[in-house]
Amino acid sequence: MHRRSFNKMVVAAAVATLAHKVTGANAAVDELRLIEGGGLNGDAIDAAYSKAFTAKTGINVVRESPNPFGKLRALVESKDSSVTLYELGTASLQQAKALGLLEKLDWEKIAPLPMFPEARDDYGMGYQYYSTLMCWRKGEKPLKTWADFFNPKDYPGKRALADDPVYALPAALLAAGVPIGKLFPLDVDLAFQKLEEIKSSVSVWWKAGAQPPQLLRDNEVQYANAYSGRVVGQEGIDFTYNQANLSIGYLTVVKGSPPESVEAAYKFLHETTDPANQLIAAKVLPYSGNSPDFEKLLTAEQLPSFPTTASNKQVQHFSDQAWWLDNAATVQTRWQEFALNR
Amino acid sequence: MATVSHTQTYRRKSWGAVFFILPLLILVVIGFDIPIVTIFNYSISSADGYSLDNFYELVTTPVFAKVALNTLRITVMTTVIVAIAGYILAYWISTLPKTGRMIALALVVLPFWISVLVRTYAWIVVLGNAGIVNKTLQSLGLTAAPISFLYNDLGVTIGMANIQLPLLVLPLYAALIRVDQRHMQAAASLGASKRVIFWRVFFPQTLKAYLAGIMLVTIVSIGFYITPAILGGGRVPMMSNVIETYINTVPRWELASAIAVILLFVTLGLFAIYRRLENRTGDEL
Amino acid sequence: MTPNYAVRTVAIVTLGFLILPVIIVIPMSFSSASSMSFPPPGLSLRWYSSFFGSSVWVSATITSAVLALISSTLGLLLGSMASYGLCRRRIMQRGIIESNFMAPMILPTIITAVALYIAFAKIGLLGTLIGLVMAHTILLVPYVMVVMNVAFRSFDLRQEQVSWTMGASWYTTMRRVVLPQLGPNLFAAWVFAFVHSFDEVVVTSFIAGTYNTVPKQMFSELILEISPTITAVATLLIAFTVASLAGATLIMKRSVQTV
Repeated sequence: MHRRSFNKMVVAAAVATLAHKVTGANAAVDELRLIEGGGLNGDAIDAAYSKAFTAKTGINVVRESPNPFGKLRALVESKDSSVTLYELGTASLQQAKALGLLEKLDWEKIAPLPMFPEARDDYGMGYQYYSTLMCWRKGEKPLKTWADFFNPKDYPGKRALADDPVYALPAALLAAGVPIGKLFPLDVDLAFQKLEEIKSSVSVWWKAGAQPPQLLRDNEVQYANAYSGRVVGQEGIDFTYNQANLSIGYLTVVKGSPPESVEAAYKFLHETTDPANQLIAAKVLPYSGNSPDFEKLLTAEQLPSFPTTASNKQVQHFSDQAWWLDNAATVQTRWQEFALNR
Repeated sequence: MATVSHTQTYRRKSWGAVFFILPLLILVVIGFDIPIVTIFNYSISSADGYSLDNFYELVTTPVFAKVALNTLRITVMTTVIVAIAGYILAYWISTLPKTGRMIALALVVLPFWISVLVRTYAWIVVLGNAGIVNKTLQSLGLTAAPISFLYNDLGVTIGMANIQLPLLVLPLYAALIRVDQRHMQAAASLGASKRVIFWRVFFPQTLKAYLAGIMLVTIVSIGFYITPAILGGGRVPMMSNVIETYINTVPRWELASAIAVILLFVTLGLFAIYRRLENRTGDEL
Repeated sequence: MTPNYAVRTVAIVTLGFLILPVIIVIPMSFSSASSMSFPPPGLSLRWYSSFFGSSVWVSATITSAVLALISSTLGLLLGSMASYGLCRRRIMQRGIIESNFMAPMILPTIITAVALYIAFAKIGLLGTLIGLVMAHTILLVPYVMVVMNVAFRSFDLRQEQVSWTMGASWYTTMRRVVLPQLGPNLFAAWVFAFVHSFDEVVVTSFIAGTYNTVPKQMFSELILEISPTITAVATLLIAFTVASLAGATLIMKRSVQTV
């Protein structure tokens, strides 16, 4: 190849990149980018919300996964405005708020259908309720409390635990005997002390929701905590909602997104408040939506398996958002140090 | 003389080295050198300008020392397994008749070209509690309960050793077949025993290639990422995995960059030793 | 020297250990069960139809193929040019330049991945095809250069000089004298480069954004949703690798005979 033609190619490539950026920023929005957790979670979003949104607006939704927190920072830091919506969990939402990585939502423009007030955050649309609960291989001695889970002597077997302080710290405190109503503010020292005791029995610290049911089925571990949607109704796995953590998954808008994309994102967020769409999502992954009317669409048989039904909700605990806002960063750092040491 | 002048004409009239090298150089500078400089820059920056705070934090936090030790332990275990099994395999192949050699070599080369992911993944099937190894052990009555091979040092080491073996066996085999057989015949005719011939005559001639291969395995092992990520179950972090965590989960890019810079210097140091060994081997042959 | 019984046993066990993963995956891909058990309880092609019926896998395959095709071709071009330049021309700081080209092969890929991730984020190349092609090309160039350096060093410089003395232009010399003889090496280098790009996972996972390649999809499946479809993908990858390497070897052999 001539050097000239190589230069041409470089120029062409540069022009193409620029053109992409320029059109991406100015032209009417024809695509909305969303980063989410991946796996079945993404399939549920596609089937329920993206489909309804595209039907109404003609805008395509492009999904990307997974959604590590660092990616959000990379997007904002690089002023990359290609991704508008970003899924975050309890702690990561608070961390993102503290670091100023999110756009404040205009709830007037979203105009949500009736929804639970706790799912409404200034910076995040709580679009799905999920529980993180104890489960075990059918045939093992059934667990009732976290104290049982943390007692490998009487409940022998290997464990798998979520590699995430949001679920692990409250669980450890419940095992230590802290009453469920008095979990927050979390006694972090006590929690880590308790985790030190159990760590030799934990053979896998899982990162993805699909791992614990797989590990139970393969008999790699006998006890685990898992996202409710992954184990409810699964053959060969028993579970209990008792002392589980009830959390909300949030959809947020990335800081610096162009106004047109933000408008489109609001329309997308509106779709997540529609109970009919939530029901479609629940068929892919059995989690509850944020609408008070969602439960009414469920059959009597389905009710006990969903996280938010009355009997299940009252035996679980919620994460205290305000506490996590103040402590997410320090707890994460300490968690990583624990992770390197187990 | 004629050759020289022709060469000179040839050189002068051609477009020069710059034309051949510049395109790649531009690409590598933009797409590799500048990014590497960027992480150097990150590693020495902190909230208030340039400082060595990140390195200081790494050195003074005990868990990082633990990760470094962990990385070292896995690397050493992998290298020792590969070194012993690899030499024996390469030696055995070099003694086979021609067809046997071709088949054995093909079997060594084949996995070398198959995705690391595929080879790592297979160990989940083989070594799991319900995998073939445990099933076999139990049906033979050797063990009552399944042995945990996965999600610990052992699983990661087995997976890594499997991937690294061809890296030692192939160059070592090449060195073994170049050893002059007459040396051994001479030793034998002088009445040396087989054992003495091997250790005193054969092995020393292959030692440098062997050490070079061992260095290569060490270099690649120390930066391994995929195998500990899949077979470690979050319990066997190596330096590469920690870098990933500090990029994706914690977002502390400065700290991640500092670890990366340390790993980079360790790798380059080992590579310098490797080059020296490799060059010496080359000179002798 | 004939090896004794112990050496032979250890060697054969090692060889078995080496190829065990490969021979395990293939039968499992034909399993009728949806669990990952071995040996498979029955045989079926369901995981292959699940692969070809999945738009995710099919589009990942297309992306991988396109990416590998562009990168390996570009890498072959730039890499063999640079190799030629380094072998044939006088260059200042040659050692440093050559080490610079080889560095991406020597450094742990996680370092390259993180460096590119941070740098590409700053200049807007993250998640773009251009960024991916750049990264893959840089990563596979060392393999091209390893193959081509050997080729150029063993190629007799005097052939070029003779052609030049006879009045042939540089272009003609290249086209009629150099390239026909180096064809097999170029082809081998290209195949190695292609396979390498097709397999790349660490850097790709960091910088690919919405692009999904086969290894990236496999890696996230291994962590997210383990399904036996992955064994079908693995078998197809093995078949693909073996076929392309066998093809490369065959063409090399044939051309050696004709020359």
